[in-house]
Amino acid sequence: MKLHRIYSNGLKLWYIFIRRWERMSDAFYWPAMDLLIWGLTSSYLRRYTPASVNVVVMIVSGIILWLVIWRAQYEITVNLLEDVWNKNLINLFVSPLKFSEWMASFILFGILKGIISLSFTCALAYLLYKVNIFIYGFYLIPFGVLLTMVGWGVGFFVAGLILQYGTRVQTLAWSMVAVISPFSGIYYPISILPAWAQKIASVLPSSYIFEGAREVLSKGYVDPNKLIISFALNCLYLVLAILFLKHSFRKVLDKGLIKVY
Amino acid sequence: MSIIQVQNITKKFGKFTAVDNISFSLKEGEILGFLGPNGAGKTTTIQMLLGVLTPTSGSIHYFGEDLKKHREEILDQVNFSSTYTNLPWDLSVKENLTFISYLYTIGNRKERLKRIAELFRLGNIWNKTMNELSAGQLTRVNLAKAFLNFPKVLLLDEPTASLDPEVAIYIREFLLNERKKFNVSMIFTSHNMSEVEDVCDRVIFINHGKIIAADTPENLAKTIEISHVELFIKDGLKRAVQYCKGKGFSYRLDERYITVDIHEREIPDFLRDIMELGADYTEISIDKPTLEDYFIQSVKKT
Repeated sequence: MKLHRIYSNGLKLWYIFIRRWERMSDAFYWPAMDLLIWGLTSSYLRRYTPASVNVVVMIVSGIILWLVIWRAQYEITVNLLEDVWNKNLINLFVSPLKFSEWMASFILFGILKGIISLSFTCALAYLLYKVNIFIYGFYLIPFGVLLTMVGWGVGFFVAGLILQYGTRVQTLAWSMVAVISPFSGIYYPISILPAWAQKIASVLPSSYIFEGAREVLSKGYVDPNKLIISFALNCLYLVLAILFLKHSFRKVLDKGLIKVY
Repeated sequence: MSIIQVQNITKKFGKFTAVDNISFSLKEGEILGFLGPNGAGKTTTIQMLLGVLTPTSGSIHYFGEDLKKHREEILDQVNFSSTYTNLPWDLSVKENLTFISYLYTIGNRKERLKRIAELFRLGNIWNKTMNELSAGQLTRVNLAKAFLNFPKVLLLDEPTASLDPEVAIYIREFLLNERKKFNVSMIFTSHNMSEVEDVCDRVIFINHGKIIAADTPENLAKTIEISHVELFIKDGLKRAVQYCKGKGFSYRLDERYITVDIHEREIPDFLRDIMELGADYTEISIDKPTLEDYFIQSVKKT
């Protein structure tokens, strides 16, 4: 991998970020809106819940942790779509840029943008509701890594679909990750789900993290098995998603779709 | 020395064969024209040369190295420009050329960008976004992009389409000059036949995915024996038309001008017969066959 080629695509994404209102808004506006609506709702609900359960902390920190998944997948799928919309793939792939460098640029730029967006959201959560995300202590590190892996897995899978089927399936870039959200137990324990939904939750790496986060709030620690299972599932899905993505790109080269895109 | 060596490449899309077992080479400093009607297989071949389409069979070598195995090293020395590709619309010319420059190994990037802006007269549009540019300006930016990395090989797909004649001439001269100074090899497609005749050393004519002919533009044109004889007939135009019809010559009328397509060896007899018929002409011009004639004739045949 050559750093200057990864930097090239990152630079392009940065130019797009500072030029486009919608790219700015997805980093700041929507997280702020989520925090306002759900934060206020949880503040209201707190009046009717036992004092031992801090529903505001649970929901607001759930929003922030979910944002990690959402950002990680969004930066892959939407940035890939940018190149498809601009019909820019031909300019990129007639150059020495490797497919892995292209993806690496999405990941690195995604991490940078994620840090900016998450820092803003965390600061806002503290300002509005006095919710300090650092309440999770060092667990934030494995939580952050594992949730990012979930986002990348979904992102790579959707990127593969977009490469194969083009803008016909572009809506998946925003919506696909939402499919796993009800089974992840972001705001509620997995145990309240019906039995069939609990089975789905058990194969989702995200469900173990959100359960673990609640465990930290109630007990002050996480069962390490949860982290291990989440990591193993993440590795499995990431490998499968990357294989699917590589297969999709081979199909693009075989069908001559780079000209079309 | 061959810069590009293409051996027996075929591209099939399902049952359809877009490129059918073609082989050719590009020499150092050569400008090779790629001609053919729409759907002939030109773009498919260029895509395979650029590594963005995988051939079904056959091999492509640049500088003696296999494109499949040495893609990065090869493409660092190759570039491409087409009127039909876009750069991100809401980025400025400067931003687009800057980010693309980082895709290649370029020494003094800042200096190179400055030089490219001068060469392609981009100064006044440097900070404009692509959606603010005219078609001609977009073509110029696309060409500038292709020269960012000092390419040894350039693939140009209709590089002067939508340019003003003055700018098109400037670009043609620029390309010839680059070849002269740096021995850049180029593959060039264009629908402007006179441009291909002016610029290309050799032409490959491709149709239905196969190479129909490969030679210099002059030699290809020479294979056509039909010349165009244009006469301004003051008196006896009807008689001249009757004569052409009788002889089965193809002709076109434009007021009192008649243009007749005729074999070179038949011209003396034709002119004598016209005189004997009493058709009085005051102007005459004889155009030898051109590459365009070859193109039209070959497309008709195939």
